[in-house]
Amino acid sequence: MYDFSHVLGYTNRNAHMRPENSGFSRLKVALLLAIVVLVLEVGSPLVSAASQPSFIGASSAVQSAFVAVQTAGKDGGNITSLVAQLNGALALVQKASEENSSDPAQASADLQSASNIAQGVQSSAAGVAQQGISARQLQFEVSIASAVVIVAIAVALYLYGDRIYRRLWFRMYRGHVVKKVG
Amino acid sequence: MDRETGVLALGVVTMLAVLAAIYPILPANGENFSELGVLGPGQKIGGYPTTVAAGQQFTLYVYVGNHEGQAAYYQVLLKEGNQATVISNSTSANLPPVRTSSLVLEDNSSSIIPVSLSMSTAGLNQRLIFELWMFNSTSTSFSYTGLWNQIWMNVTAT
Repeated sequence: MYDFSHVLGYTNRNAHMRPENSGFSRLKVALLLAIVVLVLEVGSPLVSAASQPSFIGASSAVQSAFVAVQTAGKDGGNITSLVAQLNGALALVQKASEENSSDPAQASADLQSASNIAQGVQSSAAGVAQQGISARQLQFEVSIASAVVIVAIAVALYLYGDRIYRRLWFRMYRGHVVKKVG
Repeated sequence: MDRETGVLALGVVTMLAVLAAIYPILPANGENFSELGVLGPGQKIGGYPTTVAAGQQFTLYVYVGNHEGQAAYYQVLLKEGNQATVISNSTSANLPPVRTSSLVLEDNSSSIIPVSLSMSTAGLNQRLIFELWMFNSTSTSFSYTGLWNQIWMNVTAT
């Protein structure tokens, strides 16, 4: 820890102070330290602007959300809405970086909003992925069932096609009369 | 139509019908790729600024397309270079980006991003370089796709 004693110049005086004055001196030192910290905090633009960790945190949240969205997409989920939300979060991060020097409070608020959107997207992605898996399973079953039905119809046509054709022919020409010509 | 022809026709029709039925569940095996294009102020190819004053704002549009077979998270990095700047399909320009635009695209979708920018360094044959980077979920970092574009311009002093 940095020793401020030589800066504040109280150490030697403290050594010769009477006990009843030492409490007052400690109060003065504490007040001076508080003022120094306050001045440093107000004077430093790095502290007043949205900090680098805020940007890193927002970017990291967007990246995690993207990974979840990408997985949901691979699982067959409809990710259109999630992608739109992620792009909204990215726009907020971009806006924050542009306004960080002029309006750091707004930049911090935008970064927080971006992080919240990304977290919301990430939590929604699991449900979308599950829907995708279910839809894909249903499509798989429908496709296989369709293929089986088609093959069954083909086999039936091969085995009973002639009979069916003749029956249909007879039904179609049921009222047909063959006339003797000549 | 004799019986043999009928059986053959039935077989062909059956095969086509089965293929159509299972087509949606067949894995896609196309080539995966991304697209990067720079459009002029009219959002068309052409009409690019050839001479600008340093610090003068102008707007271009960047087209990004995703055909990677999955959603992709892109970054378009804009860099100011010159004739000496080295860039290729395997190596990105070793320059700090003057602007970065990020976007997420679904598979088989594209987007056009407006980019307002200005050139800072005056000189002849300055290059405005556009690089496309893509987020790699495995390494959790962006990597250069090898896609880049450039606009040559003369930048006059203000």
